[in-house]
Amino acid sequence: MAASIAPECNDIKEKYDTCFLKWYSEKYLRGNTTSNDCEELFTKYKTCLNVVLKEKGIDSMLEDARKSTTKEIDAETLRRG
Amino acid sequence: MKVFSSSCTFDYSWEEVSAANWRKYCPWNDKSTHVVAVDTLSRSVDSSTGILRTERLITCNQSVPQWVLSLFGGSATSHVYEVSYVDPVSKVVTMCSTNLTWSNVLSVRETVVYQPSPSDPHSTTQFNQEAKITALCGGWQKIKNKVEEASVERFSQNAKRGREGFEAVLEMSRRVFSEQRELDSNRL
Repeated sequence: MAASIAPECNDIKEKYDTCFLKWYSEKYLRGNTTSNDCEELFTKYKTCLNVVLKEKGIDSMLEDARKSTTKEIDAETLRRG
Repeated sequence: MKVFSSSCTFDYSWEEVSAANWRKYCPWNDKSTHVVAVDTLSRSVDSSTGILRTERLITCNQSVPQWVLSLFGGSATSHVYEVSYVDPVSKVVTMCSTNLTWSNVLSVRETVVYQPSPSDPHSTTQFNQEAKITALCGGWQKIKNKVEEASVERFSQNAKRGREGFEAVLEMSRRVFSEQRELDSNRL
């Protein structure tokens, strides 16, 4: 797996990514889309990551990008779907 | 605005490709070394469609032409925001990404789609990529064109390396998966 932008989050990220990939291959792709096996790990990983995103000022860049792009992307994808 | 597009076919099933895609930028991929970090920001499954939506932050570190740095300042580290959708019913992965860094001077919007190839849908997957690159800086058209050209050039180099690197990831994923299956069956 790729590293995290925050080295201190690498361990928990690795655990979460491994959990997610297993869930994706073994459950999600086989039709069990509602289970969420990795929620707890993801919460821990996000807690670690969010501190660093804030420190680096990336959180505000993301907020801007969400505002300007997500709406149109979502609309496009939903239309296609 | 300049448009870069490319397409290719991977000799792996859509399921394999869509799973390996999550670890496209792992150490098995020694071609896309400009990607230094991939972080997941959010993830949710739509309960009515089963579509998995993921937001990621991709961090790149690459040499930027000196004239670009002197024009716009900044560092060689850049960030990309990516939103992806997996539709497990119609078997489509759509990934849309946009640059966070230098977004006031350059807009790079990329869309990547993975879906089963019409000719052999069970064992091959089609990859389509399109990027729209627009220089936003005011001023001379000549400079804008130059910025766009340099960006398209860099984009296409990265795209080529990305494909090669992803092939390596697909191969390793298949190998590891079959070894795992063998281990599991020995255990039974």
